[in-house]
Amino acid sequence: MKTVSLGASRPSTVYFRMPTRDNLVPIRVDVEVDGQRYRDAFTWNPRDPDSEIISFAKRTAKDLKLPANFVPQMLQSIQGQLAEFRSYEGQEMQIKEKIVPLKIDLRVNNTVIRDQFLWDIGNLDSDPEEFARTLCDDLNITDPEVGPAIAVSIREQLYEIASQSVSVMREKQMSKKGRRAPEFSSNSKAVNNAVDLFKYFGSKGSVIRKRKEWYLYEPVVDVVASEEDGKEEVNNSSRPKKRAEEEKVASLQSL
Amino acid sequence: MATTATTTVTVTVTAAAATANSVPTPTPPHPRPVAPPALRAPSTLGPVKSETPPTPSSSTATAAAAAGAEDPSYIITVPSYSAWFSFDSIHDTERRLLPEFFEGEAAAASGCRGPHAYKYYRDSLIRRFRARPGRRLTLTEARRGLVGDVGSVRRVFDFLEEWGLINYGALPSGSKQAKEKREEVAQQSLLPSGATVPRKLCTGCRTVCGLAYYACDKADISLCTRCYVNNNYRPGLSPANFKRVEITEDAKSDWTDKETLHLLEAVLHYGEDWKKVSEHVGSRLEKDCIARFIRLPFGEQFMGPKEDRMGFENNDDNTDEPGADVSKRLRLTPLADASNPIMAQVAFLSAIVGSDVASAAAQAAISAQSRVDLNDSEIETSINSTKEEGSSHTNGLSVNDLLKEAAANARAQLEKERNSIEQSLSNIVDVQMKEIQDKICRFEQKEMLMEKERQQLSCLRDLLFTDQLAVMQHQQRTPAAVTECKGDEKPKPVANMS
Repeated sequence: MKTVSLGASRPSTVYFRMPTRDNLVPIRVDVEVDGQRYRDAFTWNPRDPDSEIISFAKRTAKDLKLPANFVPQMLQSIQGQLAEFRSYEGQEMQIKEKIVPLKIDLRVNNTVIRDQFLWDIGNLDSDPEEFARTLCDDLNITDPEVGPAIAVSIREQLYEIASQSVSVMREKQMSKKGRRAPEFSSNSKAVNNAVDLFKYFGSKGSVIRKRKEWYLYEPVVDVVASEEDGKEEVNNSSRPKKRAEEEKVASLQSL
Repeated sequence: MATTATTTVTVTVTAAAATANSVPTPTPPHPRPVAPPALRAPSTLGPVKSETPPTPSSSTATAAAAAGAEDPSYIITVPSYSAWFSFDSIHDTERRLLPEFFEGEAAAASGCRGPHAYKYYRDSLIRRFRARPGRRLTLTEARRGLVGDVGSVRRVFDFLEEWGLINYGALPSGSKQAKEKREEVAQQSLLPSGATVPRKLCTGCRTVCGLAYYACDKADISLCTRCYVNNNYRPGLSPANFKRVEITEDAKSDWTDKETLHLLEAVLHYGEDWKKVSEHVGSRLEKDCIARFIRLPFGEQFMGPKEDRMGFENNDDNTDEPGADVSKRLRLTPLADASNPIMAQVAFLSAIVGSDVASAAAQAAISAQSRVDLNDSEIETSINSTKEEGSSHTNGLSVNDLLKEAAANARAQLEKERNSIEQSLSNIVDVQMKEIQDKICRFEQKEMLMEKERQQLSCLRDLLFTDQLAVMQHQQRTPAAVTECKGDEKPKPVANMS
């Protein structure tokens, strides 16, 4: 797999882990029992003991006043995701200095937030939590639940990339062992994105964006008023609406 | 570090702003020379309008504090064992009880594992609770608003709740009991953590390891037994790589009162048979029982009463000091074997009671002994006279006392009974009198009615009489009209009628 790298490319082979400072797993739970639905997303430390999962599930059910038959399904869901994470753990993955675009497109309670930015997954010291905190503070987001949602979303995307790089590595090894013709096409989106991005940057020769593209990379926060007000949308967005459409067109072009 | 400094300041300022309406904020954060908060602050602080202040964070903070002070509708109570808490710093207690944030590789780190993260969680949780002090803050609600992994948030939350910095007095049910329990727990948690200094942290689950831990020489990881059993370590390691290391400290030596009581009973019954003693106590090893028994405070009291008794009983007991408590126990055991269970209890009690009390009791008992002579025969048969006398004195005294008490009790109860009987008798008499009065009233009314009726009847009779009279006169007139010669016959019908 040939990639155009920016600088000194040191593909380091490490054991699978989240490419962030803290090796935390994003967990998404969606359980429906008897017409009641519980949806949640949070970050979990995989080194916490299993008893912690059980007590967490029970506590959450108690706090949210959910009936007890939620707990086993919650447990199953959480443990399943953790097991999947751990199944990747023993294996190698290849981290290059890849810069990938991440997107955030969330609605949390009444706040809608949309953003896209570039993230260096080669930096094993990166911190999605800090990013989320800073983003919320900078954008004056008053709802405290937005921060964790952003952090989880970033982590999920990073997890996706990391697990794909594991499978890429596996394919590479298999190809070395098995077939003569080392032909494999990695169809992972992130890798393609990264490659394209290098092209994008490389041709221009500068890491500073053009001014007219700045609006593409500004985060958009909309606070949607509650539906009792007749579905009015109060727009606190930092960019005008007509440009939002242009943004969509432009982002499609750039990718 | 500059970016993290920014984060800290803005978090505290906006959090303080959010709570400015309802709560007098405690110590305001330190002023830091950071420009952005000044520009941001006016839009977020609703009630507090600060235009361009020279030192942004301090003035907004003090403004927030002032706004909060104007509205002292809530009083935040913090229990006395948490008086050390302050928003500005991290106290030693916190460092000790939540080592995962402060020790190991987290000491220099930031992110989700450092002191900075701990402070962020702690400050946000407390501010969140104080915004609605009467309401219990649940973990789920809190962790949904905090950026970070839920395990660490839960640990900080539990710590704060235990120490009353969160949800203090805000429990929906049984709040007093819960508060007492928490104080107990807090005191207990202080004791063991204060006692032991070098503790082993498990790299797996970040808890303090108990009795033993498993060390791996390959990768410098030490796991507690639970993580070891759960195979909670890196895939490159196998169980064989781990060595078991015992922690040689008395980590589980909190003897509860119940256990101590069992121990004493057992010693009383079984004497030196520590096997049976440990069985009786339950989950304690023999050597634990022995160690505990020796360390029990009343060990000294074995000496005390002996000295006093030596004083006034004037005997030549030459028991040497080091062997004293062994011989004490020996002296205990014959009594314990005595068939009389009361004697056994008394021996036990006299051993437990202090030396002054025992001497006073013994002296009083000697004088009482002359009056109440209960257990002479049994005493003479036992081996050591001094001990038995002393115990018999206390025995006699106690029986006498008991009798007196019982008599007094009986008398008091008798009095009470008499009083109650008198009371009820008077009540009965009252009720019956009332009944009779009511009856009399009713009879009177009936008499009145009868009187009236009688009068009416007599009226009617008179009327009838006059009517009859009229008729008779009429009859008389008509024949009189025919024959007017018979004149004086009027009075006759009148006489007949009456």
